[in-house]
Amino acid sequence: MARSAVRIQVVEFGVLVGLALLVGRAAQVQILQGRRWAEEAQAQRTERIVLQARRGTLSDRHGTPLAVTQETYHVGIAPNELRDPVADGSLISRRLGLTAHTWQEALRRRYAYFAGPYSALEVQPLRSVRGVHLESVLNRFYPDPAVARATIGRLGDDGVGASGLERTLDSLLAGRAGAAVVLKDRAGREYESPARVIAPPVPGLDVVLTLDAELQEIAQRALDDALRRMDADGGDVVMLDPGTGEVLALASRQRDGTARPSAFTDTFEPGSLAKIFAAAALLSLRRVSPTDHVSGEGGKWRVLGRTITDDDPQPSLTLADAIRVSSNIAIAKFAARLTPGEQYATLRDFGFGALTGIEFPAEATGRLRPPSEWTRPSAASLAMGYELSVTPIQVAMAYGALANDGLLLQPTLIREVRDASGGVRYRHRPEPVRRVVSRGVVERGTGTEAALTNFPVAAKTGTARRVVNGRYAAGEYTASFAALFPADQPQLVLVVKIDNPHKGSYFAAQTAAPVTRSMLEQALAARTVALDRARLSTAAPRAAAAPADDDAGLVPYVVPWPYERDSTGVGGGPRRVVPDVAGFGMREAVRTLHRRGFRVALRGWGVAEHTWPAAGDSAAAGSMVTLFADPYAAARVRSRSPTPPPRGPRR
Amino acid sequence: MAKGRHWVALWLVAFLVTTWLVYARQTAAIHAARELADLRARRANLDGHRADLERRIRAAESRAVLVPRAQARLGLHLPSDSEIVLVPAPSGSH
Repeated sequence: MARSAVRIQVVEFGVLVGLALLVGRAAQVQILQGRRWAEEAQAQRTERIVLQARRGTLSDRHGTPLAVTQETYHVGIAPNELRDPVADGSLISRRLGLTAHTWQEALRRRYAYFAGPYSALEVQPLRSVRGVHLESVLNRFYPDPAVARATIGRLGDDGVGASGLERTLDSLLAGRAGAAVVLKDRAGREYESPARVIAPPVPGLDVVLTLDAELQEIAQRALDDALRRMDADGGDVVMLDPGTGEVLALASRQRDGTARPSAFTDTFEPGSLAKIFAAAALLSLRRVSPTDHVSGEGGKWRVLGRTITDDDPQPSLTLADAIRVSSNIAIAKFAARLTPGEQYATLRDFGFGALTGIEFPAEATGRLRPPSEWTRPSAASLAMGYELSVTPIQVAMAYGALANDGLLLQPTLIREVRDASGGVRYRHRPEPVRRVVSRGVVERGTGTEAALTNFPVAAKTGTARRVVNGRYAAGEYTASFAALFPADQPQLVLVVKIDNPHKGSYFAAQTAAPVTRSMLEQALAARTVALDRARLSTAAPRAAAAPADDDAGLVPYVVPWPYERDSTGVGGGPRRVVPDVAGFGMREAVRTLHRRGFRVALRGWGVAEHTWPAAGDSAAAGSMVTLFADPYAAARVRSRSPTPPPRGPRR
Repeated sequence: MAKGRHWVALWLVAFLVTTWLVYARQTAAIHAARELADLRARRANLDGHRADLERRIRAAESRAVLVPRAQARLGLHLPSDSEIVLVPAPSGSH
């Protein structure tokens, strides 16, 4: 009995020790090492996955998508899971575009992986096929890859913006990735249960660009046609709204078909395009009067050891003539009335030699040397558009300042930024940089080939020699053209640059100007182009109201002469010929007189009979013209004049 | 004894009910997950379809396609500016 009691005690002791060991081990595992084992267990059962954030959409000003993010798929095939390798293989090969050889190769592997990416449409029939595993991934698409490719840019392999606006706006577009936990089985396969979201992905913001897709297509096609026709090395087109600084179209093309953003990055000497800025300086500083003439020197003038020539020699020229016939001699002579500091400050004020501040990752400043680095002929060279290098976007903004009453704006490519729910987070407001001058300069310009019949265009041509390896290359030119459309209250600034045209003329009037005309005609005929047609329609009947002294084909500048700082020039404006409105209805007669810049006082009613000052006389723009009307005037007018006054558009 | 057996039966029933509830809930969750995945796939498919249609419409509407066809089939041409008449809207109209 005693022995059995001892045995029982031994057993009890053994059990106690065993239990103590068990409790001790449990304490070690649960308490001391609990966190580690819990983590290891969780790692075996769960996996943390990254939830991609949808990248924001880039669209044009009308909402046409230019860059979108869509769900696409990588496809994995487990051949041993296929129910019918022959039938399934045929379907898979067809949907994924695999050759028979590729499919046979895939069948020999344990798991074949096709990165694609494949669209949802392509993989839809494969969803129900056993052995096909789809892995969804968000991908960037460009619905029309050719549209504004250089401006929009592309993503790098890491999904981050690598160039263009994709790069500049990356922080806005990218959004923030989320995280989730999914359950796995022993083999590491995901359970078919919903993931536990730890942090939801935050989609990127959508950006509405200022670009107009239709104008962009017009610009690209016109530029492509021009480069092909002229066998040129390259070219650029910039269109923008002078009132807001919004860039509407940007096309760049090189001879090899590439489209790097040369409108921002490549500089050129503007040649005669820059004469207008020298004229602006002369006028704003009152260094020239409307009647001041300089000699044309018979088309050849030797000064400071250098010979300046004109293609269209004139005996004597005013400043307006200098711009109209693009006289190098006259503008160089007039520019001598400016100090180097004044000339430099004016060009600098127009934005040359400095970044425009547009939202693009690469931009050239161009070159505008300070007066301390000038040589003796520099002042004359700068007035003619040499010793100065600019980008097309700088020229467009400077001409935009002329169109915008001398206010230089910062150009922009971004119109709005919206969040995923459509709420507007940012809307562009015009950002003035500085006031350059109050009003522009001249009455007429060159650029006949860009002239439209019904719509006045203000324009300037520029043909400059090209610099290659630091020297002017013989026979190589850059033809450029800047236009304001319409000349009254411009809605568009167009800058066209053609690099080194090989076929036909190299003069801008024969190369860049027709491209501008073609683009304007297409823009007018397009439905959705960002033009204010209500304003255009009032400007349209130019031919009907054409002044008698308006030379057909010349492109008029509309800014009053003489220049009046910060004034509308009423009473002191240019003298204009009073049009003949006899026989017109009252409304049409008043409109015609208003378009010529006169104020109108009415006497009587019915049909316009005559005016005071009389038709054909000249009067200052802004002065009062009295319109006498009579209900029976029509019969008298008909009896006086067998031919009715012209009302239709002049062809 | 009878009282103890009742307790055992009660516990057993409670266990079975709990187990069934867990099973039913899991099954419903898996069905819901499957349905959600199907709906997501359908949405992705429809999105893809819409994007494809938009791309095709845009390509068909582009000037590169329309202008040559309008010229070749209908004998139309791009109007010069003198052929474009913009009619001014009467004042006060919208």
